[in-house]
Amino acid sequence: MSSQYAVELKDVTKRYNEIVAVNNLSLTIGTGEIFGLLGPNGSGKSTTLKMLLGLVPPTSGSVTVLGLDVQKQPVEVKQHVGYVPESANIYEFLTGIEYLDFIADIYGVPTAEKQQRITEYLKALQLEGREGDMINSYSDGMRKKISLISAFLHRPKLLLLDEPLNALDPRSARIVKDYLHSLKAQGVTTIMSTHVLEIAEAICDRIGIMYQGSILALGNMDELRQKASMPRSGLEDIFLKLTGTEDLRAVVEELTR
Amino acid sequence: MNWKNVLYLLQVDRKSGRLIRGIKATRYKENTFLAYWPYWAAAIIGVVGGLLANFIVAAIYSQGVPSGLQSIGQETFILFAVAPTLVLVASLIFTLLQQIQLAGLKASSQVMYWLPVTWQEHTLASILANLLGWPVALVTGLSAGIIVFSALNGMILQALLTVLIMFAVAFMASSITEALRIIQIRLTGAIYKSSGRGAIWIRLVGTLLFFIIFYIFYFYVTSGFSSFINNLTTAQTAAWYVPFIWPALLLSYAIKGLFLQAALFLALSVLFIAGLYYLAIALNKRFGLYEPPAITVQKSGLYVPKVGILGRFGFSTVEAALILKDLRAFTRRRELISVYIAPIVMIIIPLFNSIGVINNGAPTGQATLIFMAIIFVLPAGFMAMLLGQVLIGEEGQVIWRIYASPISGKNLVKSKYFFVVLFSTIILLISGIIGTLFYHPTVAEAIAGFIETFLLVLAIGSVSLTVGFKGPDFSQTRRARMVRQEWSLIGLIVSALVGAAVLAPLVPIVILSFIGSAGSTISYSLGEAVIVSAIISVVITGVFYRINIDMANDLLKKAET
Repeated sequence: MSSQYAVELKDVTKRYNEIVAVNNLSLTIGTGEIFGLLGPNGSGKSTTLKMLLGLVPPTSGSVTVLGLDVQKQPVEVKQHVGYVPESANIYEFLTGIEYLDFIADIYGVPTAEKQQRITEYLKALQLEGREGDMINSYSDGMRKKISLISAFLHRPKLLLLDEPLNALDPRSARIVKDYLHSLKAQGVTTIMSTHVLEIAEAICDRIGIMYQGSILALGNMDELRQKASMPRSGLEDIFLKLTGTEDLRAVVEELTR
Repeated sequence: MNWKNVLYLLQVDRKSGRLIRGIKATRYKENTFLAYWPYWAAAIIGVVGGLLANFIVAAIYSQGVPSGLQSIGQETFILFAVAPTLVLVASLIFTLLQQIQLAGLKASSQVMYWLPVTWQEHTLASILANLLGWPVALVTGLSAGIIVFSALNGMILQALLTVLIMFAVAFMASSITEALRIIQIRLTGAIYKSSGRGAIWIRLVGTLLFFIIFYIFYFYVTSGFSSFINNLTTAQTAAWYVPFIWPALLLSYAIKGLFLQAALFLALSVLFIAGLYYLAIALNKRFGLYEPPAITVQKSGLYVPKVGILGRFGFSTVEAALILKDLRAFTRRRELISVYIAPIVMIIIPLFNSIGVINNGAPTGQATLIFMAIIFVLPAGFMAMLLGQVLIGEEGQVIWRIYASPISGKNLVKSKYFFVVLFSTIILLISGIIGTLFYHPTVAEAIAGFIETFLLVLAIGSVSLTVGFKGPDFSQTRRARMVRQEWSLIGLIVSALVGAAVLAPLVPIVILSFIGSAGSTISYSLGEAVIVSAIISVVITGVFYRINIDMANDLLKKAET
């Protein structure tokens, strides 16, 4: 299971009938890296994350995660991955604690550790006191917290996070950001998709901007600025320029007319 | 009252039927002809029925008025007079059934609560929407039949009045259902908030009781239909003080030409229907807004994980976690609780029927043997079939959790299959004990009953799980199906065949019990029959269990579907 890369995608294409969601994508992400996937809606970010976990088989190309072929060894790959989907669809008939208990058992977390970890995470994300309530009464933010805890609980080597900070309160968002940094120091790789460009700029080592299923630009902030020929710009301006949506004034004028 | 708003809301409800019917909505373009098929199909059936009725009646009365009958007009008016009450009962049943099927819906269309829509408009739209589908189709069909028949026999005015009253009565029934729906929301809301773990049991038992009472009522009305009609005419007049009867009395008096009485009951009917409508509005205003309540199952504090007993029975942690999760789903999700209903009804109805047969002095020996077999076999067999079919699809949109977790096909099949067998066996124990206590079989017959049904459960459970893997429906529409309709039908047929195969070795013994063994050269004991059944069951179970594992692996690989 040793590989210099945590993730390797080679010439990966995913088609849904005539729609090409991901187009001939090749990408490598190193161990311990925090990688941000940006892009407009429908650019292929979520599909890429799902392919990394084996939730969506590629139409062509190969996907290797932690040195394992995702298609050939799906269960082994999933054992080492923590995943947070964009929408927090979780078992609503369970209580928060029952859900986390279920997840810990599924990933084979030893009983003693399970107890300690769940208690710690609930306390950190301020869910103490509501863990015994059924999830159907949780707010979006609370569901997101439960989803995040369930991704962290088994100490994965790779985190695939689709809009991980959506709906979180500022304190919890800060805790998650800092926690991702501390996990990086332990060699945990994080790949996150987000529309919040400030977050990507603040915590990602490298950023990939996807557009129509392909990587349009890839690198750290300096490399992206260079590519966009915008030496002193922030990620928002770079993103808008690279995705060809920078001229928004006309749109706003049209709306205010 | 903005009638356009009512119409818009009604349209939304009607269009949600697309999801219920499983129509793929991508680039969906509605075909008006097909969208309204239940109504025009009902109208056609009604017209054909009216013509046919006219043909039959003409034949009967071709030689004059037969003895024991009155004139065509008088006989028709009797039927007209009871039609509103029949429509009331039928509409109540259909609209209540519709609400039961929507019980799993968490947050009904709350969007209307923040739109500029009044409670009057919302309530009216909701009452009319309850009627869409079977109730309207039924009234349309009946109306078409009545109008055609009456037009051919010179009674068109009375027919039109009957039709008008039938629609008014359907509205009355739907208003009652609307009021009951809101009361239910209020009561369940109170129960949810009242306590923790107890709330779950109250909901489970309450839902079961509601279903059982409803089905027994439904069973009695449908099974005793002919006597129901005969008694209705006299009952209606005697029970004039019951408001639900008033529209029927109005019609009855109008047809007889007693216009003063008709006017009185017209006024009373209008007042009662308006009263029901305003009651529904008032209830909606007070309790209609659905708020997902918080059920606290555990008290806060230090979390202590429990060591499950399933591990001692050879289940891995993953499998035990899946079983426990499903167990909680089937005691907490209202739409899943309805799975228990069919087996429970299958215990109650044969019991009631057998009491009737025995009281009527029918031969008890063979009759009790048949009833005992039904009570042993059907509830548990049905439970295995239903659970096997829905256990994959019930994951719904949260199926991603299974896909994203390190769960193998073998884990999935083992946990799901165990769940099917466990619950079906519990039903078998309940129904078997009731059957044994009620029909007093011999010890050998009782033991054979338990073993044979258990073998049946093993085989049907395995086969049904294959159906569940083959045709799961993960969509969470207003009325979650969990298995695609075509596969549900296939599952029913295959389960019947598998059941017949497993029980086939018992057939000679049953035949011998009926014709008597005297003179028979067949030497065939109950024990031998059970052994042959066991071999058949084990083979079917094993083959389909293997298929299930392959299908589970396939499902987990193609997670996107």
